[in-house]
Amino acid sequence: MIQVKNRVGIIFFPAYDWAISPTHPEREERLLYTQDQLREEGVFDIEGITEFKPDIAVEEDVSKTHFCFPDVASVTTESHMISAGGAIRAARLVMEKEVDRAFALVRPPGHHAMKSVHGNRGFCNINNEAIMIEYIREQYGKKRIAIVDTDCHHGDGTQDIYWHDPDVLFISIHQDGRTLYPGSGHLEELGGPNARGRTINIPLPPRTSDDGFLYAIDKMVLPILADFQPDIIINSAGQDNHYTDPITNMNFSARGYAVLNDRLNPDICVLEGGYSIQGALPYVNLGIVLAMAGIDYSHVMEPDYNREAILQEKETTRYIKRLAEPVLKNYFEPPRDRSLPAPGHLTRRQKNIYYDTDGIQERQLESVMICNECAGMIRLESVSNRNPLSLGLEIPVGACSHCHDEGYRMFESGKKSKKYKVIQMIDRVGKNYFYA
Amino acid sequence: MILGLDVGGTHTDAVIIDGNRVISSYKAVTDHKNLLNSMNDALEKVIEGIDKGKITRINLSTTLSTNAIVENTLEDVGVLLSAGPGINPEVFAIGKHCQIISGSIDHRGTVVQELNEGELTKAVNRFKKKKLSVFSAVTKFSTRNPDGENHIREILAAETDFLTMGHKLSGQLSFPRRVATAYYNSAVWRLYNRFADAIERSIEKIGFKADINILKADGGTMPLEHSRQVPVESILSGPAASILGILGLCDIDEDAVMLDIGGTTTDIAVLVAGVPLVEREGISFNGRPTLVRSLETRSIGIGGDSAIVIEGEEVRVGPERRGPCMAEGGTSPALVDALNYLEIKEFKDYKASVKGIEELAADKGKDAGETARKAVEYAVEAIRQAVADFVVELNDKPVYTIHDMVDGHVITPKSVYVMGGPAAGFKSLIEKAFGLPVTVPANYQVVNAVGAALAKTTFEIELFADTGRGELLVPNLDVRKNITSRYSLDDAIDEAHDYLFQYARSIDPAMQESDIEVIESSAFKMVSGYSSSGYDLRVKCQVKPGVVMQVER
Repeated sequence: MIQVKNRVGIIFFPAYDWAISPTHPEREERLLYTQDQLREEGVFDIEGITEFKPDIAVEEDVSKTHFCFPDVASVTTESHMISAGGAIRAARLVMEKEVDRAFALVRPPGHHAMKSVHGNRGFCNINNEAIMIEYIREQYGKKRIAIVDTDCHHGDGTQDIYWHDPDVLFISIHQDGRTLYPGSGHLEELGGPNARGRTINIPLPPRTSDDGFLYAIDKMVLPILADFQPDIIINSAGQDNHYTDPITNMNFSARGYAVLNDRLNPDICVLEGGYSIQGALPYVNLGIVLAMAGIDYSHVMEPDYNREAILQEKETTRYIKRLAEPVLKNYFEPPRDRSLPAPGHLTRRQKNIYYDTDGIQERQLESVMICNECAGMIRLESVSNRNPLSLGLEIPVGACSHCHDEGYRMFESGKKSKKYKVIQMIDRVGKNYFYA
Repeated sequence: MILGLDVGGTHTDAVIIDGNRVISSYKAVTDHKNLLNSMNDALEKVIEGIDKGKITRINLSTTLSTNAIVENTLEDVGVLLSAGPGINPEVFAIGKHCQIISGSIDHRGTVVQELNEGELTKAVNRFKKKKLSVFSAVTKFSTRNPDGENHIREILAAETDFLTMGHKLSGQLSFPRRVATAYYNSAVWRLYNRFADAIERSIEKIGFKADINILKADGGTMPLEHSRQVPVESILSGPAASILGILGLCDIDEDAVMLDIGGTTTDIAVLVAGVPLVEREGISFNGRPTLVRSLETRSIGIGGDSAIVIEGEEVRVGPERRGPCMAEGGTSPALVDALNYLEIKEFKDYKASVKGIEELAADKGKDAGETARKAVEYAVEAIRQAVADFVVELNDKPVYTIHDMVDGHVITPKSVYVMGGPAAGFKSLIEKAFGLPVTVPANYQVVNAVGAALAKTTFEIELFADTGRGELLVPNLDVRKNITSRYSLDDAIDEAHDYLFQYARSIDPAMQESDIEVIESSAFKMVSGYSSSGYDLRVKCQVKPGVVMQVER
């Protein structure tokens, strides 16, 4: 009989009746072969590994996390609410100690969905991890949370959502943005003025293999986590670093993924990308599940695995070793931004965001209150070819009274100005989420 | 006329059904040392005064193979497994003679690595030395490609009395379940076949000329002749017999709960729109999950003979049993005694019950009436809670489509059906606790035999087709053939339906086309790069479970 070290809950929701379009990689059978493999291995019969049904997220779960324009219903479908609900169920299982670890094997994915949402970008509408984290923080009190995004694409959505949040550490390991969508995730991106060093990017060169990924985990991610001391570690688990993935260029293996999760030891994994649905996903998912449960994964291997063929070049190894120093410095001694206004004043950042899936162009003017007391009130003006000028205001978790009052003052003045089609308020202190 | 017989753990029941009436019934205590005697007695008694020649069908539910596995009177089996990458196959090794052979087949049924001939020869020689003559062969993904298992059959041919091949058991995925099911099937094969011979002889000797069928845990039957190849399918049919019995005795078309209150346990079943639920994967047995299809039931340790225990202010019932209740000559007061004391039930030695409860209460300085009341309340509440938990669990079962997430049926029981020894005594108590109408069917003492009698032949298949590779498989019927790239889901549904109907009819000539239903079907377009590479088609068909008719009240 197999003995587990950790009880694991798996929220398996393959959405067999949903696709972005018929030949899009994000299509119905994406998790079919994973399910075949997990069932044939008898994973759900192992004492201590249990399959659960997702929750269905409700509008408030989304509207306390995102600015959705013009409203939540217009940018989401049932599939998104179930996928986010899958992540919420994973969190509930862990927080209520029904299991020790949980894996939300759900689709559609979410890590390219940013704070402001007008539609679908990078196969994502709403950010499953962020919705889950905000659920945890609201239901179970203020928590220090670390997200390690191991998807091959930079987790630009999650980075954007937590850019200003000093309590949520976001680390992304990905294929260098100069060679892959979405093009971001450079070393210099390290968090907003109130949260410097709480966004960490580790861009790896193409054709990085197991050695390179595990080096990044051992020498960069784990030392940072050891210092940050999170209450919860989340793996935003993309599976597209695999050597067979059709839309990326990395050389990671199923066993490498298992070792990574073994060392990272995340409380919760949430599935992100990964589109080698026959050659990689069945084995990668099996490896991750076994590693989470603490079961021997040394026999997990792809049918076409050939270690020699996917070894990284020496130059890649040298390059990754050189990355450690600047990455650690970004966390431990983040450089100051000297152009900042004084406390009590707003910063200004202009962003243009392209939604590749839906062809939407969005322009944003984002401001945060420089604040020594809290994460700082956020003000976001947004306009796109779908929605006229709109305004989002957020009074963050644990906001000070000044930021709280400023938020409501701007809400009132925004209304009076009649400049905005809609104004969305996220008041995390009073737990009020509403549109005007 | 149909004769139904249930050789159960406690009682052996028999009935004869003519048209839609029970015209004869018999009940006796099972003789555990000689199950055949119990069976013969029941057959002879129930037929008294009736023309044996008119019985066309005898349906038998027996605990024999269950007992063989539980008591481990199992034959040594030569087990050959081949897994390839994945979970370490050593953890699935079963029995004393298990050999693991290198080789691997992937989830599409592609052979990645052929079976290692050298290892295979060595294993077979080892089996020869041990003088083994029954075997099981299971490879991972054999339901997607049975080549490996078929190859092992050829290698073993000369040595074999009997071989179970994994893919013949079910089309379902689960290597560990296939391993366990194939092993048990071979391990009980000889014992079961001897028993089947004895049954045939007995039935012939008594003078019956009827077809003999064996009840399965999923509430269907299989012909005795067929069961000789799959004896494992006869395990744990008891709960199915009682569920079918209720279906035969009551007309139910809504969500409902069934309670079978026995001596030591209460079995719970849930009906959805009058149809019993089948376990999604298969029944667990001896701690090992198997592929044996079963109706889904839960059991809690509360029954008529469950002991009453006073702890401080609390009165508990069960799960321990200290012999029979005092009304039946036991030495420790049990739940039935509390019912007797409260005059809710008048069962056997009523005075012994009263004395037992009074002594128990006095010993702890409590009032006897209150003790009895609290015991009964505890039992009813425990049953109510177990039912509520079961319904929550059923409604929380994973589903895989947005449609099922959003529009899936939420089970809400509207009525309760109670059977078993103490059933009548509990009627009004359960009515109050559940807030639902409760029915205790007439003839409930022989409900298991009625269930066995009314069961029909069932079978199920899974068809798997890959139009890219041009191949179609129905593993448990050993069907494998080529298809064209134009083969569609409709073709697959029609073909699965036909394969099942033809096979079901070959084992039961009374089978009708309308008995066949498609329970799952899916078509996934496979894409390689950005172009289509065919369809992955899957169809699951079964003979509808249920009863052949309802009997008159």
